[in-house]
Amino acid sequence: MTLELVVLIKVVPDGKEVFVDPVNFTLNRSMATNVLNPADENALEAALKIKDEHGARITVMTMAPPFAEPFLLECMSRGADQAVLISDRAVAGSDTYPTSLTVAAAIKHLGKVDIVFAGEKTSDSSTGHVGPGVAEFLEAELATYSRSCRYEDGFVIAERELEEGVEVVKIPTPAVVTVITDSNNPRRATLRKKLNAQKKGIIVWSLQDVGLPSDWVGLRSSPTVVKKMLPFPAIERKGKVIALDMIDDFVKELVDSGIIKRGGN
Amino acid sequence: MTEMKKAEPPQDISEYRGVMVYLDSFNNTLTRAALEMVGVGRKMADKTNEKLYCAVIGGSTKDMAQEAGLHGCDEVYGFDSKDLAMYRSKPFSDILAGLVHEKKPNILIVPGSKNGRDLAARVAVKARSGLTADCMDLDVEPDTRILLARRPDYGDSTMSEIRCERHRPQMATSRPGTFATPEPDPTRKFQVDVREVKLENNQLKENIVSFNQKNEEDITGSKVVVSGGLGMGKPEGLELIRKLADLLGGSVGVSRPIADLGWISREHQVGQTGETVRPNLYIAAGISGQPQHIVGMMGSKVVVSINKDPDAEMNKNADYVIVGDLYEVIPKLIESIEKVTGTQSLPA
Repeated sequence: MTLELVVLIKVVPDGKEVFVDPVNFTLNRSMATNVLNPADENALEAALKIKDEHGARITVMTMAPPFAEPFLLECMSRGADQAVLISDRAVAGSDTYPTSLTVAAAIKHLGKVDIVFAGEKTSDSSTGHVGPGVAEFLEAELATYSRSCRYEDGFVIAERELEEGVEVVKIPTPAVVTVITDSNNPRRATLRKKLNAQKKGIIVWSLQDVGLPSDWVGLRSSPTVVKKMLPFPAIERKGKVIALDMIDDFVKELVDSGIIKRGGN
Repeated sequence: MTEMKKAEPPQDISEYRGVMVYLDSFNNTLTRAALEMVGVGRKMADKTNEKLYCAVIGGSTKDMAQEAGLHGCDEVYGFDSKDLAMYRSKPFSDILAGLVHEKKPNILIVPGSKNGRDLAARVAVKARSGLTADCMDLDVEPDTRILLARRPDYGDSTMSEIRCERHRPQMATSRPGTFATPEPDPTRKFQVDVREVKLENNQLKENIVSFNQKNEEDITGSKVVVSGGLGMGKPEGLELIRKLADLLGGSVGVSRPIADLGWISREHQVGQTGETVRPNLYIAAGISGQPQHIVGMMGSKVVVSINKDPDAEMNKNADYVIVGDLYEVIPKLIESIEKVTGTQSLPA
């Protein structure tokens, strides 16, 4: 039986193009263009590697307004076989709970799925909640923060990069794997695949298609709500200017206050 | 498994009392982030005059439970099993969700380490409640007992206050390094309840094949961090940064563009998309000081900025500013530190 792989993606503002206004020190988002979330590129590549080796059908999926379509086509141009866009006005304002719920319902609607890939986090809200949330709803095994993974006879063997070291785990499918940013080199699209993708088009599902009532999602069914925006807590710093010929005195000051210790820290 | 249903709030939220902290551990030792969360949890529990519960899961939790108690916890729950010596997503989340169901805490905070985030995201779904990630400030409103979870906005110099008003427990994670660790009090009274856990086979499908402990420094625990930014101009600049860091017994940090360029691994990146540090001394060399960077080091005790540009944003966030080329300033600084402290630096 063909391996069924799903790759979850999100379209985010391009962090590198985010422009900080030098006068009022705020972010100008109007300059930012949209890109595929960087870690999701690595998630797609991780799935494509398994397809290279074992053969597989890859479905790339996102929950977004229709502006995400070109990004889904881009994923197909790199080697994904089909793309699903979950698009419904009712999901607007969803936090990570209803997002995980909707994505899990859409994956279930696809039918048999062996491995779901997602980026470790998105570069905009960077919660990393959706991958584990989907695993929870699907009763799938989970390997988060994977830097490489392979498939072997019904199991995923993933290297998880943690603070203390690298852990290798072996989990049976169905499994959710979240992939860390920069963990592989995403391949480029090919012209032939690009043309095929355009011919094939994108599958668009509404909430009804995936079998969820509209009052289960969206802002009103999200447990968390952004209540207000605050400036960063101000930390007063002295900003004392040290002239180049006063560095010795400056170092003495730091040693006297115990900030620099004799013989290293 | 959690049935696919909406996040239904509990009927009676007044049943939910107290603050619970999940204690992250490695090799039967609490992480520093776990103790940071005990400190924050204690403050919130005092504000609402409620108990602070802690949960620790591992191969043998007795000593860790004791440590949590001394650092400020009222009731510590330990869960022991030989199968739980290492973090495993399913059994850990089942156990914590079980304790949440039993104790009904009003607030549950979890260290935002990688395993902590994995765990918190699953427990939030199991409890059908709300979770806010990467909080840089956690507080509670005494009369409503609502958690005020404040997290930085993407690339912006503002933060959002996020509330979870109807669902319980109100959950949050914070990155390791966000808060100071509390001092232990050897006279503190607290209760410890360590339970032996029996796990089902379907909870143990995840097989840990191997673990390779890293030798690489963890910059979040360093007392001194010396960071380089684009002002270095070339990868060799990091050698100079390293020389100063070594002399001070500290770690090397970088701003995001340097990690993006691949001059050094991501573990060294300080800021919103990297690590959060709070050393005694933070030296920023050739760093412009974008808000994303400031968020990652604002808890530092003393900040020094070395920058050619006297008007760099970084300078406004520094206690000391040395205006000049870092290739000129750092060697002077090294020479002066060697002279004043009598320490010799290693050849670069």
